[in-house]
Amino acid sequence: MFLQLLANGLVTGAVYAIAAVGVSLVYGILRIVHFAYGDLMTFGAFVAVTFDTTLGLGMVVATAAAMVAAAALSVGLDFALWRPLRARRANFMSMFLASIGLALVLRQAIFLAWGPQPRSFDVDPFKVYTLGPVRLSGAQAIAIVVAIVAIVLVGLLLSSTTLGRTMRAVADDRALAAVAGIDTGRVVFATWVLSGLLAALAGVLAGLVQSTFDPNFGFTLLLPVFAAVVLGGIGNPYGALAGGFLLGIVTELSTWEGFGGGVDPVYKPVVAFAVLILVLLARPQGLLGRARLV
Amino acid sequence: MSTLLEVRDVVRSFGGVRAVDGASLDVEAGSITSLIGPNGAGKSTLFNIVSGFLRAEAGTVSFEGRRIDRLPPHRIARSGLVRTFQTARSLARMTVLDNVVLAAQRQPGERLLRNVVGAGATRRREREVHVRAHDLLELVRLDGHADELAATLSGGQRKLLDFARVLMTEPRLVLLDEPMAGVNPVLRGELLEHVVALRESHGVTVLLVEHDLEVVMGVSDRVVVMSNGAVIASGPPDGVRSDARVVDAYLGVEP
Amino acid sequence: MSVLTSGEFWAFVGVVAGIYTILTLGLQIEFGYAGLLNFGHVAFMAIGSYTMAILVVKSGWSMWLAAPTAVVASAAAGVVLGLATLRLRADYFAIVTIALSEIVRYVATNEDRLTGGSQGTINLAGAEEASDYNGQWQRFQEWFQGALHLGSKDVAMLVLVWAVALVLTALVALSIRTPWGRVLRAIREDEDAARSLGKNVFAYKLQALALGSALAGVAGLFYAWQFAFFSPADFAPLLTFFAWMVLILGGVGRAWAVPVGALVFGVIFAGTRFFEFAPFTWFDSAERAYLRLMVIGLVLIGLILFRPQGLLGKREELVLE
Repeated sequence: MFLQLLANGLVTGAVYAIAAVGVSLVYGILRIVHFAYGDLMTFGAFVAVTFDTTLGLGMVVATAAAMVAAAALSVGLDFALWRPLRARRANFMSMFLASIGLALVLRQAIFLAWGPQPRSFDVDPFKVYTLGPVRLSGAQAIAIVVAIVAIVLVGLLLSSTTLGRTMRAVADDRALAAVAGIDTGRVVFATWVLSGLLAALAGVLAGLVQSTFDPNFGFTLLLPVFAAVVLGGIGNPYGALAGGFLLGIVTELSTWEGFGGGVDPVYKPVVAFAVLILVLLARPQGLLGRARLV
Repeated sequence: MSTLLEVRDVVRSFGGVRAVDGASLDVEAGSITSLIGPNGAGKSTLFNIVSGFLRAEAGTVSFEGRRIDRLPPHRIARSGLVRTFQTARSLARMTVLDNVVLAAQRQPGERLLRNVVGAGATRRREREVHVRAHDLLELVRLDGHADELAATLSGGQRKLLDFARVLMTEPRLVLLDEPMAGVNPVLRGELLEHVVALRESHGVTVLLVEHDLEVVMGVSDRVVVMSNGAVIASGPPDGVRSDARVVDAYLGVEP
Repeated sequence: MSVLTSGEFWAFVGVVAGIYTILTLGLQIEFGYAGLLNFGHVAFMAIGSYTMAILVVKSGWSMWLAAPTAVVASAAAGVVLGLATLRLRADYFAIVTIALSEIVRYVATNEDRLTGGSQGTINLAGAEEASDYNGQWQRFQEWFQGALHLGSKDVAMLVLVWAVALVLTALVALSIRTPWGRVLRAIREDEDAARSLGKNVFAYKLQALALGSALAGVAGLFYAWQFAFFSPADFAPLLTFFAWMVLILGGVGRAWAVPVGALVFGVIFAGTRFFEFAPFTWFDSAERAYLRLMVIGLVLIGLILFRPQGLLGKREELVLE
């Protein structure tokens, strides 16, 4: 049972991790707490489900379409909303509130376009893979494989490409990067594209793992994702990865009977929040964040 | 002359680097002491430790004979040791007058209920405080700006406002963190007068960090030199100026 | 269209606006005065409502004793939040406050025996007893209505809510002009400067949270009295965001901006119900609900972009931030 929960935790954690990297990049590079990210994930999932079930084009095409759509939407929103805000030199608070407004608009738009009924992907629900004591559904197996591939690719992008290094430099120290002559416009564009791609991917994977999902599900996922980002030290994409997996695993494992009966599965999100609060109490800058100086 | 401030063997590191490495110094009551040293010598860190904004990893700090190194910054300020910041921290969206009025100690109205129960004492103290604030603003020649937002002041004026605020707290020891930094030459003279006046007219002891060695040599009773986190020399300005170690630390910079 | 002219409807809108006024006053203290980014504000409203309901229905308390106790409970919860989180930097604090408010909602949803679970307080006891607090309130309301010769019980509720809201607004406005309020404002400007002048920043922030949460608790009481039954879904993060909207709409930093913002918000929210013109007529009623929320979101974005100081705020103050 423990191993099964661990496997489940890896799956959940993978979804959190992917989304957390997206959120972390947007925060680190653009200093925006992207409250609409959950709804962007929902958007991705719904676009995918349209291509998959309504148009019958299969999961691969559907996911690709979703990722392109989400990336395009993110870039479009930069022009429509974030750029004007930057021009007005809006502060952190204004950005946060604007992203809340955006989340509201996006979610209602999804309700309007697709309706409130829960959806599912066209995946064989009876397919089960068995690895020793662990059983993974087809959906979970896909989720884990895709997630790992995506994470490796993103990791390579961030560490080995010029663009990736530039992005990390800007996330680390914006002023210094500007002085060093880095083309921030290009970095901004890349950030929105990448975070959009990741949002859609995370949304599709989450939808796969959950089997059914409705327009609210992205926001429900967003809070544990934020928790993962903060846990790993805000603005640090590797920290976000670690935070995502950690939270996913801890959340699932907390229901194990071996831990004094285990937490009621209904309270799993609460576990994520509790972990966040406890870690921050001990280490206010997050696991991999840097301590503040006066 | 008694020792007002005693710093002993203070240590503080950041990420493996020892910013302050066993620094010790004394400040005599009624003196003006300058803390100098090349960039990265640990002066700001030491300032932050003495005023309570950073915790030392080892060593002690005593003020008026009592240990203060474990106290939070607001308690240290209340006990008479007040600091300024390198960039004048004016409260931008409050008026110049409010900036100074805020600094008054012992205002019972700063507890919410004391504005309901015992409000008379609060009102009396408010009146006293306002009178004193105007006097201090006159002293630094900012009285005309009293009702304007502090954000409208120039950099040099904000430093003067800092002064008025510090005086308002009725301190016994003032830590001035690079008071001349970013101030135009015209205003510097005025600021310097106020620094000296702190000791002369108000009986306040001064410890200042400053890069402008001319200022330092002209004004200080004692000079303490830091380098690489430790104090390498201390004494009257002339003695320190010709100290070989000091010259060495500054790599030949003319005092 | 008849609803538009119905006094009952507008009295209802007025009551909701009044409740939002009280709720947002709390946020004004926490953010407008002390600079705290509390995005879990609604949790304290929930604590107020639930504490009173549980004390009356399950423990048989008199409502008049349960109500102040509920407010104290909200304030205490605010202090607990502060003790756990005030040492965090502003952005972490904001996220953690959302997390905490969700925890409160989860507990309310799942601890059926205590709170009636996801179906709400209707489950606390038999239908009659479960609204006992409402019953006691109704009796008071009827008495009030008679005493002032008011036309209907809706008007009575309206008067009661606004009487409390206005008194509280006046108190909050007065409090910021005291030396205590001055310290709060200084903290919002520059915490370290405030510390260097001897102010115990942590203690003041705790007080701001306690007062803000207490106000949220009072809002929770009126919510319970107005709607009789409520459930955890009523206290979703959306409500906190609405309160923030009211705050921004009216203007950050001015107590009297809050009732203004609440009234305008109430009218926008209710008024969008009556957009009987295209393109709204293309949608059915369920869809119109989504559209209305979308409008709210767009208004918020518009405010941030074009009038961040709100209706009564000062532009210069914002530029300096």
